[in-house]
Amino acid sequence: MIKRLLPMLVAGIVSASVPTTSAAATDDYRISEKPLEMTIHMHFRDKYAWDENWPVALKAAEMTGITLKGVASRVGTNSQEMFNLMMVAGDLPDVVGGDALKDNFFKYGMEGAFLPLNDLIDEHAPHLKQMLADNPSIRKAITAPDGNIYYIPYIPDGKSARGYFIRQDWLDTLGLKQPQNVDELYEVLTAFRNKDPNGNGKMDEVPYFARQWPELIRLVTLWDARSTGSDAYHEFYIKDDTVRYGYADTEYRVAIRNLAKWYQEGLIDQEIFTRGARSREFLLGNDLGGMTHDWFASTSGYNESLADKVPGINLVPFAPPASPTGVRMEENGRIEVKPDGWAISHANEHPVETIKYFDFVFTDTGRNLFNFGVEGEHWNMVDGKAKFTPEVLNSDKPVNAQMWEIGAQIPVGFHMDYSYERQWTNDIALAGIDMYEKGDYIIPQFSGIAMTVEERKIYDKYWPNILTYMLETQQAWILGSRDVDDDWDNYMKRINDLGFEKVQAALQSGYNRQYK
Amino acid sequence: MSSNINNKITGIGQILRKDWQLYLLLAPMVIWFIVFLYTPMAGLQIAFKDFSLFKGIYGSTWVGFEHFQTLFNDELFIRSIGNTFLISLYSLVFAFPMPIILALMFNELHHAMFKKTAQTIAYLPHFISVVIVAGMVVSFLSPTTGIVNLVLDYFGFEKTYFLTNPDYFRPIFIGSTMWKEAGFESIVYLAAIAGVNPSLYESARVDGASRWQQIWRITLPSILPTIIIMLIIRIGNLVEVGFEYIILLYQPATFETSDVISTFIYRVGLQGSQYDIATAAGLFNAVIAFILVYSANRISRKLSSSSLW
Amino acid sequence: MSSFNLYSRGDKVFGIINATLLTLFVLSTLYPFIYIAASSISSGLAVTSGDVLLFPKDITFAAYDRVLSDPVFWTSYANTMFYTIFGTLVSLAIIIPGAYALSRKRLLGRRYLNFFVAFTMWFHAGMIPFFLNIRDLGLLDSRIGILIAFACTAFNIILLRNFFESIPESFEEAAKMDGANEFTLLWKVYIPLSKPALVTIALFCIVARWNGYFWAMVLLRDEDKIPLQVYLKKIIIELNMDDQFASSLINSEYSFETIVAAIIVASIIPVLAVYPYLQKHFNKGIMMGGVKE
Repeated sequence: MIKRLLPMLVAGIVSASVPTTSAAATDDYRISEKPLEMTIHMHFRDKYAWDENWPVALKAAEMTGITLKGVASRVGTNSQEMFNLMMVAGDLPDVVGGDALKDNFFKYGMEGAFLPLNDLIDEHAPHLKQMLADNPSIRKAITAPDGNIYYIPYIPDGKSARGYFIRQDWLDTLGLKQPQNVDELYEVLTAFRNKDPNGNGKMDEVPYFARQWPELIRLVTLWDARSTGSDAYHEFYIKDDTVRYGYADTEYRVAIRNLAKWYQEGLIDQEIFTRGARSREFLLGNDLGGMTHDWFASTSGYNESLADKVPGINLVPFAPPASPTGVRMEENGRIEVKPDGWAISHANEHPVETIKYFDFVFTDTGRNLFNFGVEGEHWNMVDGKAKFTPEVLNSDKPVNAQMWEIGAQIPVGFHMDYSYERQWTNDIALAGIDMYEKGDYIIPQFSGIAMTVEERKIYDKYWPNILTYMLETQQAWILGSRDVDDDWDNYMKRINDLGFEKVQAALQSGYNRQYK
Repeated sequence: MSSNINNKITGIGQILRKDWQLYLLLAPMVIWFIVFLYTPMAGLQIAFKDFSLFKGIYGSTWVGFEHFQTLFNDELFIRSIGNTFLISLYSLVFAFPMPIILALMFNELHHAMFKKTAQTIAYLPHFISVVIVAGMVVSFLSPTTGIVNLVLDYFGFEKTYFLTNPDYFRPIFIGSTMWKEAGFESIVYLAAIAGVNPSLYESARVDGASRWQQIWRITLPSILPTIIIMLIIRIGNLVEVGFEYIILLYQPATFETSDVISTFIYRVGLQGSQYDIATAAGLFNAVIAFILVYSANRISRKLSSSSLW
Repeated sequence: MSSFNLYSRGDKVFGIINATLLTLFVLSTLYPFIYIAASSISSGLAVTSGDVLLFPKDITFAAYDRVLSDPVFWTSYANTMFYTIFGTLVSLAIIIPGAYALSRKRLLGRRYLNFFVAFTMWFHAGMIPFFLNIRDLGLLDSRIGILIAFACTAFNIILLRNFFESIPESFEEAAKMDGANEFTLLWKVYIPLSKPALVTIALFCIVARWNGYFWAMVLLRDEDKIPLQVYLKKIIIELNMDDQFASSLINSEYSFETIVAAIIVASIIPVLAVYPYLQKHFNKGIMMGGVKE
């Protein structure tokens, strides 16, 4: 612990007393006496490529003596493809990074493309070592099936992501209270549908809507069923150390039966499957939508931006309504460890220096640098906390977009600091986030299974078809073209014929190896 | 025997020497095809390999026909072949004649200004990305506010959520593609019509042929070689329906009719970067297409003088 | 062509029906463009909340301001112009002689050569082998590479070959009698005679170059070299991302939709402008064909 605190104390004292560029401050983090240049391929979020001229990269180079020179194409608009082309082209750069690369790091790491980091971490990276010791679940999540660690992950901070939002002004108009359980929710949505809360004399209200239709399926959690296990849609989840799939649970049958009824009664947007990304603007902007389930940060901005167009609009977050068994569940949250990060390639001639650089990002100074940008330029220390400058906070561009452009908040192996986001999240969202965290509604997100080659084969062979079949049936049930109770036995039989149990067993064996 | 071959070789040599200019004209194209299209075809072997990006095309291990077996043991893949075929077949019947008809209609316009404007506008949708076209299709067919349903409602029919009903997928897909591309595709035929010798019309008019008869007796026969070539190419594309537009329009609820080979591969293969499976499916496509074209070409060569080769 | 008086009554009815049907079709194809144009000059909020159907609402040029003030937009515009103009020239320089040679009946192994070209319509190597090949040729991240690597398509060659074939052999014989060699024959006889076809092929090349983005994405690495379509794609990704992760971005001035609309309008105009010019040659071709009269 002392080891961990020391650099922070030093950095704190130094930065408080002298300007940040002072030799004393930088020398503490120097890895290489002679300037060392290495190459990095990092293309991420389908648009950005690592740039050694980012202020963050320059600062890191100044402090560590290591410059990572970006070699990724600045033209590509598909990061996965850019990674693939880099891999297939042969001569790997020294460092490879990016988003959604975990499976690739595992697969090609086991084939020899990336170095196992376990020993390097133990010997040369005290901060990383400490972090992994403090968080065994992170260590498990990033360990490949062969027991090696091949990449240093992006570790998010904060818990909440999406939540339920409702038109409080409509509730007030109709003299209703925020629904506390699923039955009350049913009544509220029915009232939205029938009692003309927007007061235009037409029954044109859309009680529940969502930008992505899987957010409709997410409502199965109101009947204790599950739609996914992680921050992506349609994933496996873990219950009592068993790998389970929501669409094969008996709770799901009950939940779908109810959702089909709701859809039939017009409580759910009749066009939810096709309305698409703009449904929020359209339905809120025309005073039609009543309730949704969406990101706290973006959904909380509409009261302000629509104030002129829809007078009195008051869309507020509310707690997840309780299921018939009394459980309030928010299924969506932030995952503990992202499948993003960076790795050291087998061609790297300076693995020790590289792991030290990775470790630098986990020192407090490094962490601040990769979270907030350059001290004095983008943020200042106020009462021991990093605070963005007014220029950053008041810019036309959202803060996260600004950060990406200077090389902060990018999917390298770093530990995010939630206070970065809190500073520019509005009060409505903050209230919702606090409510969800205090109420402990958010269930843990599963970080996924590292499959062996054999397990992966089984998964790839059967899973896409099973999922296709499940989704086809799911929509047919909700749309009412088929009936869940008539179909259920056949449905369960069919998914097993398609190989469901085999996939589940493969995942279970992977889970047991990795997490038990 | 050997003198025969020798004769043949000297024969070829003589021809080459005599016609060297012709072969010089041909050379850049042949070289281009070899360098840019045929050389990389060696990479098709990944259809028979367990392809690893790291090990590369030549370093990956052979797996024989495993990927093909995986595909053909998959009933959803089989379903997607059927869907591909049906969509292509319907569009061959309904969409293929459309640009021909359009070209003939444009040709019958005699107001120069109108003709020019109409043609320019007709090819506009070709430049509008499928994302926007799909967006418009969705909004026209919206069950609550879409114009189609408002009209249906007005005439007392029940409103329908077209895009979640498998029965409507093919007409929607083919109709909107036709609308988007017919204008642009008609350019080929317009060019062919422009090549028709005008004296033929003159003499037909002297014979008192109506415009309708002129179309049937002069224009159509004159552009028939072009039509046949386009038809053969189209037949070769019977097993190919691009995924970009379909994934924008389809829903799990309509997979039954809308899931084609390319969308299947997109979901199964390329999202997980499984180039080997995708290549295997592409190779299967190519072989089928090839058999179809080969037959169509043979038939065409027998019946008319036009052929691809 | 003052032959109107030659038309019978039936022909006139035919003409009217024809014009009416075409007008309806053309109006339907005009709509999306009107919608996009209207969106590009409407406020972001009006478009996202579905208020713009035919006419612009809350007229603003904010989207154009945003797009036209971005230097990358202009570089990519210039790049697209470059790729389109020179790419089309390179394409024609390879396609025309090749198609001409293929159209000659006395060409040795003609059927095999035609087959050799047509084969590539169905068998393609796929992205990865294609990329590796370009890398081995040393053409990665080069403008020349883009110009050359996408010069031909079997479709264009076959189409042009077919047009050349339809030109009566008497022309060739006559020219040969005058002592023309293959080059003059192609240049002086075949090219002028098949102007409509050449214009069509040129148009296909232009449009393919103008719309293409995939190749640029795979082969280029330097942002200074990107064409307009890649720029558009990048903007879409950027705005989408802001939208998803950032706090609410509904800006009343412009939105994702209006910016995309503005870029589309800006990018369609040159291709539209070039079409009537090319179209002229469809009629000229008739004049040339009229040699036989």
